[in-house]
Amino acid sequence: MTFTQECTIPVARERLWDFMMEVPRVARCVPGVEAVEALEGGTYRGHFKIQIGPIRLALDGTIVVEAQDRDAWTARMRAEANDRRLGGGIRARLGLTLASAEGGTHVKIETDLAILGKIGEFGQPVIKKKADALLTEFARNLQSAVAV
Amino acid sequence: MNAFDYRSPRSLDEALAVLGEYGEDARVVAGGTALVTMMRQRLVQPSCLVSLRAVQGLDRIETDNGGLRLGALATHREAETSPLVRERIPVLAETFRRVATVRIRHMATVGGALAHADPNQDPPVTLLALGARVEIRGAQGSRELPLAEFFRDYYETALEPGELVTAIRVAPPPPASGAAFLKFLPRTADDYATVAAAAIVILEPDGVRCREARIALGSVGVTPLRARSAEALLAGEGLSENLLRAAGEAAKTAVDPLSDHRGSAAYKREMTAVMVGRALTQAWEAARRAAGTR
Repeated sequence: MTFTQECTIPVARERLWDFMMEVPRVARCVPGVEAVEALEGGTYRGHFKIQIGPIRLALDGTIVVEAQDRDAWTARMRAEANDRRLGGGIRARLGLTLASAEGGTHVKIETDLAILGKIGEFGQPVIKKKADALLTEFARNLQSAVAV
Repeated sequence: MNAFDYRSPRSLDEALAVLGEYGEDARVVAGGTALVTMMRQRLVQPSCLVSLRAVQGLDRIETDNGGLRLGALATHREAETSPLVRERIPVLAETFRRVATVRIRHMATVGGALAHADPNQDPPVTLLALGARVEIRGAQGSRELPLAEFFRDYYETALEPGELVTAIRVAPPPPASGAAFLKFLPRTADDYATVAAAAIVILEPDGVRCREARIALGSVGVTPLRARSAEALLAGEGLSENLLRAAGEAAKTAVDPLSDHRGSAAYKREMTAVMVGRALTQAWEAARRAAGTR
């Protein structure tokens, strides 16, 4: 499933970009993310807990930064994570675009998400609602983290 | 199903201690009607099941300051058939009577259904309209929350890890009031509703105009919800076709249904207006009977 989410962060684009390209730091702004560490070649390993409906997932996986272009203010990432207990997982491609906006920076996140195993049985609307709630909290965390 | 530890504490304190010991990997089970199904589907694989079956004293249905207090381990069937519930808050007994099948009602518990927080369930809708409050116990002590603040998201509640629902408290409906619970079941009688609606109408002393109305809806959002904008239209008004239509339209703005095999989101939104109109009509008529103006 693909979806696009947008938010505005009241921080200058350059500053936000530099913050967001440091994966372990920005990952801490994502609710449920624990312990992200850098491997080599733009790859990071992390642990992510999320509840979707009655299912509590504990995902272990990697994020790879595939491209970052500070002139175009765009970046692409790929995430793969699995829940060993439930035998399911996610595969996601993320596109990030930052645009200067009045009073800050407009952030656009385009996600192409594939859900494997049992979790996929939950309908797309539920997962989309969860993703929206996650983004709202992420934006709030990001804002206070960049402000420091 | 996965292998798991099974613990059967005999008291609430013991149950809380076991939950503390296993942390988030433990799941509480009472009737098992929801959890066991999810375990068989391998959606949930707890490392420990904490059964509340042997815990004493949590299944009482009793009076409470003129209202009722339903212990968390009372079954749906007990709530449905309790003379106290039938006499004091008949709409609540009627709502429990409408849940699924009698086999499920004999197993499913009042508190378990709340903790499960499936937005398709019936009792939370009526309990929300009645302004019920949830009693919660954890290792740190007890607290109480309005049911409206208890449901947070799809299958998510305000319960912290290690906390349990111990009871639900329901104030009695005021005099000169009426209540109704309706659900739209286009498929089978034991299915989840496409839309469920509960309405309470409290009349002015004239016994005709509405002083206060409460409308709660199920199956049309990630939690059961109140249609507060619709409620606001009713205060001070007399029953009319136009008013019911306006309330139904207002209720549509409160809902955010998911499309599924019980109907598309758009269809459920339209049916919300219909069910709100019907529930209000029935509640209003019951209120007028109670006020003796009909």
